[in-house]
Amino acid sequence: METLDVVLITGRTDKQGVTLEIGKTSMDYYESVAVVELNEEDAEKLGLNENQPVKVETENGAVIVRCKYSKSVKPGLAFMPYGPWTSLLMTHNTEGISMPSYKGVKAKITPQEEKMKVLTIEEILDQFIRG
Amino acid sequence: MGKVLKDVVCSFCGCLCDNLEIAVENGKINPVSRACKVSISRFVNYNKDRVPYPMIREKGGLVKTSLDEAINKAAEILSRANWPLIYGLSSSVCEAHRKCVELAELVGGVIDQTATVCHAPTILAFQEIGEIHATLGEIKNRSDLVIFWGCNPLDAHLNHFVRYSVTPKGLYISKGRKDRTVVAVDVRETRTTRVADIFLRIEPGKDYELLSVLRALINGKEIDLDKVAGVSMEEIRELAEKMVNCRYGVIFFGLGLTMSRGKHYNVMAALSLVRDLNKKTRFVIIPMRGHYNVKGAGVVLGWQTGYPFAVDFSRGYPRYGPGEFSAVNLLANGEVDAALILAADPAANFPVSASKHLARIPTVVIDPKISMTSLIADVVIPSAVSGIEAEGTAYRMDGVPIRLRKIIDPEPGVLADSEVLQLIIDRVKGVR
Repeated sequence: METLDVVLITGRTDKQGVTLEIGKTSMDYYESVAVVELNEEDAEKLGLNENQPVKVETENGAVIVRCKYSKSVKPGLAFMPYGPWTSLLMTHNTEGISMPSYKGVKAKITPQEEKMKVLTIEEILDQFIRG
Repeated sequence: MGKVLKDVVCSFCGCLCDNLEIAVENGKINPVSRACKVSISRFVNYNKDRVPYPMIREKGGLVKTSLDEAINKAAEILSRANWPLIYGLSSSVCEAHRKCVELAELVGGVIDQTATVCHAPTILAFQEIGEIHATLGEIKNRSDLVIFWGCNPLDAHLNHFVRYSVTPKGLYISKGRKDRTVVAVDVRETRTTRVADIFLRIEPGKDYELLSVLRALINGKEIDLDKVAGVSMEEIRELAEKMVNCRYGVIFFGLGLTMSRGKHYNVMAALSLVRDLNKKTRFVIIPMRGHYNVKGAGVVLGWQTGYPFAVDFSRGYPRYGPGEFSAVNLLANGEVDAALILAADPAANFPVSASKHLARIPTVVIDPKISMTSLIADVVIPSAVSGIEAEGTAYRMDGVPIRLRKIIDPEPGVLADSEVLQLIIDRVKGVR
C-alpha cells in the first residue's frame, strides 16, 4: 500500500475545546480529535476518501485515525489535534528542557481499509498504557 | 429565565474573560451573552461526565468509597512513597496551588505544572533574555501592529480578538480594526491567518531563522538571500519596516515556537527581536497561555519556592531542574514512585512512554470530571469546578490576577480542590 512522508504538526482546534467540555469519553470528543488533516492533493495521491481510516506512524509509534481533507495544510504537511491519539506518536525525549517535540515531527501516512477501527480512549488505555 | 449574573469570569483559557452574563435556573447554567463557543460548552456541560463519588481501586477496578476513606488512601500513598510527583495545577486556582506546594514539601516530592509541556521553553527564555511586557488592556488601547506568531487564537483563545487584540476600539485606537495592522506567521493556514492583513507562511522548524533575519534587518544589517524559511526577502523586509515604523507593536506567540525545533532558542530569538525593536519604537511580547490559570501556577510556585516549574523537595529545600525534575522525564525514566494529579490529564497528553509509568505507580487524581488519568488512578476524588462551583484567584495570560466567582452550589459533600488538599495534608501530618 502506498505511503506518504509528511511533517506532522499538532495543535488546538475549537471543536476540540467545545467537545472537551462535554467530556473526554464522549463520542463528540472522539470524532473531533481522532483525525488527521491532509491536503487534498496528498489525499488524492493516496486515493483516500474523506473519513477513511489512515495509519499515522512516527519513529515512536503508530495510530489509526480518520482522514480529513484540508486546505489549511500544504502538501507534505499533516495536522492532528492534541490528545490521546497524538500522544501515541510522540517521544518522551525533552532534550533536557522538559518539553517534548509535539510539532514538526516526521511521519508516514498509510491508507487503511474501512474496517480498521479507530481506537477509543478505553482501548488506548488497555492496549498501550495499562499493564 | 432565572437569575442573570453579570461580569462572570470564564475559567477555560488564559483570556479569563470577565464580562460574561450567565443565567442560573434550577441547577442549570446558560450563558446569555459574550461567551465564546468553548465557554458556552463549559458552562452548559459543567455537570456532564463528572466523577460521581470518591473511588479507590480494588481488584483492578475503581469502586465507590467514602471521602474519608479516599483521603486516607491518598495520604497513605503519598506518605509511603520515596519520591512522589505532584503534577497539574493549571486548571485550578491559586489557593489550591499553595496547598500543592505545602504537600510537596511535606512529603519530599517533586512539584511540576502543565507549563512543563507548553510554555516551559518560554519561561526558560524569559530567564535568559527578560520579558518586555504589557497588560492586555494597554494593548487594546495602544497597539497598532499586532503579530500572531505560531498561535491561532480563533481556535484556542476565541475572544482574544474581540476583547483585547484586533477589533476593540481603544484610547489611541479610535477606529478599532481599521487602526490596526494584523500579521500572522504560521506553518499552516488557520482561521487567524485568514483574517490577518499579512500572512507569512513559513517552513516548519524555521522560526529561529526568520526571527534572526528580522532582527538583523531592524539593526541595519544587509541580508544577501532571496528567501528565508520559505518566505521571500521582500515580504520579510516589508514586515521589518512595519515593525520599526509602528507606534506600539506586540507579538503574541504560541506553541508554534515552543514545541518546534529550537524550542527555547526560538523564544529567545523573539524576545531579543522585541528588545532590539525598543531602540526604535515601543514593542511588547506576550505568550498565549492555554489553561485558564497556568500563568498563576507559575506565579504561585515562583513566590513560594523561587522557581516556576520542575521543583524538587527531596532534600528538604527547593531545587529547580527543567529536564530533570520535569514530569515527562521523571515518569518516562521511571523515577517517581507515586503521583498526585490535580486538574490535569497527563495520561491523555503525555507521550505514551510517560503515561505507562503513571499507570504502574499508585496515583491519586483530584478532578471534577472524568479524565483519562482518572481511569488509571488508584484514588479518584471529585472536586467542585473552580469558577462555577467554587471561588478562587486565577492569573490571566498577561499576569493580571482575577477573582473567580462561585455561581452555583456543588453537590453536597463535593469540596473545592484546596479543601480536598488540606484534608490530605492534615492526614499526612497525622500519619507521620
